[in-house]
Amino acid sequence: MSALSLRRVAWSASLVALPVVVGAQDSVVPNRGIDPLSRLNESTRYSIELLFDSAKVAGLPTWPLESKALEGITKRADGRRIVAAVRLVFRSLREARSALGPGATNDELTAAAGALSVGITTDELARLVKSRHEKQLTYPLVVLSDLITRGVPRDTASQTIFQLWQRGASDDDFQGLWRGVERDIVSGTDPGVALLNRAREIPSRGPPTAPPASGARPERSENPNP
Amino acid sequence: MTDELNSLDPYVRELVGEARRPVVVDPSARHRLMEAIRLEPAPRRRSRVLDWLLEPRHSSLSPVASMALAAGLVGIGILGGLAIHRDGRLSTEQAPPVGVGNPHLPDSGTARAIRFVLIAPQAARVSVVGDFNDWDPSANPMSAQREPGSSGVWSVYVPLQPGLHTYSFVVDGTHFVPDPAAPIAPDDGYGHRSSVVIVRGSSL
Amino acid sequence: MSDAADVQRVLNGDVDAFARLVDRYYERCARFAVRMLGNRDDAEDALQAAFLRAYRSLGKYQERDKFSAWLYRILVNQCRSMAARRNQRERVFVREEAVLLNAPDRRPNWTGEDEEFVQRVLAELDPLLREAFLLKYVEEMSYEEMSTLTGVGVSALKMRVKRACDRLRSRWERIKDD
Repeated sequence: MSALSLRRVAWSASLVALPVVVGAQDSVVPNRGIDPLSRLNESTRYSIELLFDSAKVAGLPTWPLESKALEGITKRADGRRIVAAVRLVFRSLREARSALGPGATNDELTAAAGALSVGITTDELARLVKSRHEKQLTYPLVVLSDLITRGVPRDTASQTIFQLWQRGASDDDFQGLWRGVERDIVSGTDPGVALLNRAREIPSRGPPTAPPASGARPERSENPNP
Repeated sequence: MTDELNSLDPYVRELVGEARRPVVVDPSARHRLMEAIRLEPAPRRRSRVLDWLLEPRHSSLSPVASMALAAGLVGIGILGGLAIHRDGRLSTEQAPPVGVGNPHLPDSGTARAIRFVLIAPQAARVSVVGDFNDWDPSANPMSAQREPGSSGVWSVYVPLQPGLHTYSFVVDGTHFVPDPAAPIAPDDGYGHRSSVVIVRGSSL
Repeated sequence: MSDAADVQRVLNGDVDAFARLVDRYYERCARFAVRMLGNRDDAEDALQAAFLRAYRSLGKYQERDKFSAWLYRILVNQCRSMAARRNQRERVFVREEAVLLNAPDRRPNWTGEDEEFVQRVLAELDPLLREAFLLKYVEEMSYEEMSTLTGVGVSALKMRVKRACDRLRSRWERIKDD
């Protein structure tokens, strides 16, 4: 049964697989592969390259900036808007780095930059980092940003997520929390109320600053660019 | 090639001769390059996943996971997807355990096939764009289910590395639509909303 | 030791195999980068970036492609982005340089290695023309290879090469009577 259904899935997937075989950056659209940024006019390109340089100098990953530029090309934004968007990514990453510290992974930086853009402060970020216990901040930050966007009051969201984090909530917990709250909001519950209710369902995983069971802290360093 | 050269103006031909002379290269530059290379993580093969998409293989899917696939249940990374190892082996349970909190994801070459789904009965064409395909609408076009009773269900499998990804659907080439079933990404700066998926490094 | 075999070795974890690939192509790529960008510093940066990018995206290389073409695609790309960064900075100086170049006592000296002269002459060409000219006559690629590499059609490339040659020739016409 499993082999059969897999074959069916693979068959329908193979109908789309042919273009995928050529790959995301290959000759399906020739100019795309060689130098997609060439579609930008010269002064836009120049400004963006400068931002890449600034990012490199600051020890920040450049691919989020490049990705934002490519996104703008696809979305047919004008040059000025693309530069503004890329500049914002750079600044947010820089701010996120100063809040999270040098040990943050690229994903954490991206998630933190997103949180900053919806009004979370660097102090709040630093507070999360302080009670870290060897876990990544990516999940809680993504959930936090989403909930604020959906209408949970900023302070409520920040405070609730922080408390859960401090009490040792796992990625699964945050994921479950998000799904529950989203469902409730869709069915008409007030966003803030939904969050508080669902948060209560998550048990405390241990005392706030308990050292990890394994003992030594693993070395934290930046993820290399993908 | 010499014929082509001979047909050139003599001045231009001289210039070409000069331009073809080797350039003196600073040996330390090459040394620095190799040092930088050695600090890089080893590059990973990308194409194995595509073999999987074209040729069904024996899989070690658990019965539950395979039924979920057959029923077309949406897994936007939340189910963990399928682990595709470098040798093409598929598995869910057998992926090497990776602590989700570990920033040093091992270089196991484990991309996960994540299925993106959008229900859009009125659409003529849909694709998924994101940071994993340079936001290129032609990279991962989606196909509508052909089975009776489920038209308008567009989907595609995309191999994604573990970690955070931002994406959006593009309907009929012009409408950028976030995934209704995924966390919302912060404002994209272009007037649209995108979605976030976090792909796990470990199995279900 | 073919390129494709070395690529496989790198993907299997053998970094030294990449060193071999670099050895095979570095000087050629350096020559292109210097001729294209006009100065060694920029060329070195572009080379570094190109080989790093090649290393990082080695997983995307398909054996059916010629490795040199794949590598050059990356290199041409890097040279273009390097040039984009530079252009605004240099705009101020081009006028002064043009004055220097057209100075009456300036003569081409073919007997010596007047590399600087070659660079100045090439620098006068529009970048896309220069790129096409270099790929055709210095890298000795076929138009088909160039087309795959740049994504531009063969006839457009032929036009660019022809225009480059015309410009170079007319430049010679202008100064030879000095």
